[in-house]
Amino acid sequence: MASSHGNAHSEAAKIEQIITEFFAKSLHIILESRALYMSSRNSFGDQVASSPSSSSSSSSSVRPRDKWFNLALRECPAALENIDLWRQSNLEPIVIDVVLVERRVNRDPVSFSPKRVLPRSSSMKERYPLSWNSDQEELGIESKSEKIIERWVLQYENRKTRDSNSNSRRSSNISLHTLYKKSTLLLRSLYSTVRLLPAYKIFRELNSSAQICPFTLAHRVSSFVEPFTRKEEAEMLKFGFTPVDTSSGRLCLSVMYLPSAKNVNSEPTTPMSPQVITDYVGSPLADPLRRFPLVPAPGLPSYGSPSSLPFSRRHSWSYDHFRASPPSITCSPSPTHSESHTSVSNANSRRLPPASLPPHPTELSLIQKKNSGFDDYYPSPSYSIDSSGSLPSATLLRTESAPVSIPAAEVANSPAFSNRHYLPPSPPLRGSRYASKTMNMQTGATAEKLFSLGKDEPRKYSGVKISANSSPQISFSRSSSRSYQDDFDDPDFTCPFDVDDDDMTDPGSRAESLDHGHMADALEAGGFFPIRKSHDAAVGALVHLLKKAPPLRQDLPISEHLSQGACSQTWNNNAKEPNQIPEAPMPVSMMSSGLIATRKTTADALEEFHGYREMKNLLLTRGSKHQI
Amino acid sequence: MNCEVCQLKELELEHFEIREVLVCGWMFAGILHTIVFHRALGLVRPKDVDMELFDITYVQCGEVELEKKIDEKIEQFVCWVEKHPNKKSRICLSFYEVKNKQASWFSNKIERLYWEQWYINLNVVQHPKAHTSKSHHCKVVDTGEGGLEDRNARSAALEASLREVLFQIIKFVNEKKDHVPPIPNLEGPVSFPYEITIPSSSDSAFGMDMIKRMLQTGHPTMLS
Repeated sequence: MASSHGNAHSEAAKIEQIITEFFAKSLHIILESRALYMSSRNSFGDQVASSPSSSSSSSSSVRPRDKWFNLALRECPAALENIDLWRQSNLEPIVIDVVLVERRVNRDPVSFSPKRVLPRSSSMKERYPLSWNSDQEELGIESKSEKIIERWVLQYENRKTRDSNSNSRRSSNISLHTLYKKSTLLLRSLYSTVRLLPAYKIFRELNSSAQICPFTLAHRVSSFVEPFTRKEEAEMLKFGFTPVDTSSGRLCLSVMYLPSAKNVNSEPTTPMSPQVITDYVGSPLADPLRRFPLVPAPGLPSYGSPSSLPFSRRHSWSYDHFRASPPSITCSPSPTHSESHTSVSNANSRRLPPASLPPHPTELSLIQKKNSGFDDYYPSPSYSIDSSGSLPSATLLRTESAPVSIPAAEVANSPAFSNRHYLPPSPPLRGSRYASKTMNMQTGATAEKLFSLGKDEPRKYSGVKISANSSPQISFSRSSSRSYQDDFDDPDFTCPFDVDDDDMTDPGSRAESLDHGHMADALEAGGFFPIRKSHDAAVGALVHLLKKAPPLRQDLPISEHLSQGACSQTWNNNAKEPNQIPEAPMPVSMMSSGLIATRKTTADALEEFHGYREMKNLLLTRGSKHQI
Repeated sequence: MNCEVCQLKELELEHFEIREVLVCGWMFAGILHTIVFHRALGLVRPKDVDMELFDITYVQCGEVELEKKIDEKIEQFVCWVEKHPNKKSRICLSFYEVKNKQASWFSNKIERLYWEQWYINLNVVQHPKAHTSKSHHCKVVDTGEGGLEDRNARSAALEASLREVLFQIIKFVNEKKDHVPPIPNLEGPVSFPYEITIPSSSDSAFGMDMIKRMLQTGHPTMLS
């Protein structure tokens, strides 16, 4: 209004451009310090390279988008993707939810630094069962709890809206320079603020390779606000940045955050200790494990170093690192990558667990992880990809504890795992729900729990087999060589479960096995055995189901694979931890999904899934009691 | 000219060990860099820095000169604090614009127009040693746990107040934007001239500083 008519148009256009860029920059700033690096799989190379803390400063060349607001940020694929989507909307608000995903550890042994995890996770779950939603619950993802720890709301209030509120003031007097300057200032403080909030600690923690975390971060970008419950809202603090006036409205940015989010951080699990391993060895399950060359402890050290994180990305390398330390690690890193990318290979690989796991993890983790974290919420495949990135990191974390590797094998055996694997049917559900709205969900590494739970039992049964799988050599073969059917056929499998577990475990567990292994070991030693015995009937039923199920097909058409992938994602979600142990979970999910998906309808799958879930819960419950 | 002044919440420190000197350095570095980052409106490639003694990350502009200058000032300040225990002290960070003014007698033609001043306040508690010695006794008896807890508690409290100060900076920056001069077209991130003044009032060094400034600018404006 202030400007002359002649300039009006161009000025309006410029204002809009500033606003648009402001949104983009804000989103970038936020996601840059909330989206786990691994998450952006799309650009394998770029992201990995950049270290969280210093990356932004490191790049020397000035890109056009760096010039906006004189703030050069490091690459953040997650942000770019989201902003591209947003640009298609008409200055709609952007709501970014940062979600803390905690995997729930049923058994102490499972978690390496478990004691804390258990109480915490369970409590969290109880507290916020609804926070994320229904999807998870439906799937029976009990092991996972998700909580929104930050909500950023970025919006442009149009004058019209404002006028009604009585502000028509001097907006006209606002010059472009002033608008730009104030926007720049606001973005500076946003940049600082993002780093002062409790969630940043979590982010940093997850990005440091040294620790195994029972939780991960995910984010969801949308254009609408999903209201909090009163209770949730009461727990959150709000910080509103001073709005920046433009001649036609104003830019508003605010954040609601959980001041207590850092409590979670404080509980990061400690890296695995060699002791744990020894214990595992002692356990009955240990024998099979022993075979494994894995005994990985030596390899572990590498994980510990932060530098490893970058590698950890989904690339085979990362896997290698992880797995490498663990005995099973055998998986060939680089080669696997290509394989892992294709969902099909994963499905096939199930059996091959060891080999497949490592490679898959990267790929799978990318896709599945994403899915797992938020899959439930966001059915759309594209989104899932983003999330996957985070998974790798998770895996890394776990892998770090080298000793665990042995346990991992055990973990694979655990029934829980097997159950999970079967879950795949759930995937269809996801898709419908969130596909449209949610732009992106990323999850960190939460998968571990899931895996760990299931793995224990499988190990027992498949102990020997597992070991075989665990061996590095196998890694590649897994993907293509074995068919699900074959697995079932194997005499070795005492129970369908076992077989499944093996297969499942192998693919996913191998990769994860280490992590899981830790969990599993503990679990195994303690309670899985007892559980099984007591639950023979349940197991039998499961076995029946499994047997009845048509064999998995590796030759499934691509489309099928995709669907499987989706399933796997769901699985991961169920697993909750999938992100962290993306590898293991992924494979499993793939397998399971493939089997079920191909054979049954979604509804059937769901039913089965629920059945499995119930059984699993029963088993776990009993098992935990026994163990403890 | 409108000069906004921000008095940051006082940080209380028990200055009795080398560690506190380090703490002091980190705190002030964090605060100074955070302020400057908000006033560095040139092209910035932010650099995250983790405080070693606190679980806090702050942002630097990534300009070497600036870092040097801040480190230098902090060093001087810490020395001053060591020599003047049990005193309240402060650092002042000022931003100004340079204006050419018609030469007046004996002063330079350059005038500094201060448009913003930040006061970082530190209070070194006087009797920390007594407390510590007590706790030390406890330590010996309690196998050191008492002392450790004590220290951890203090450290946590200090971290909390430091965090509070950083938020205070952010809030101030958010609320006061009108007085910030237009962004000059400069290369480099630091868009406005600034100065860091160490110890606060009543210090002899400060007096010298004032004199120097007067000689330089001819206008002993500002600073308390």
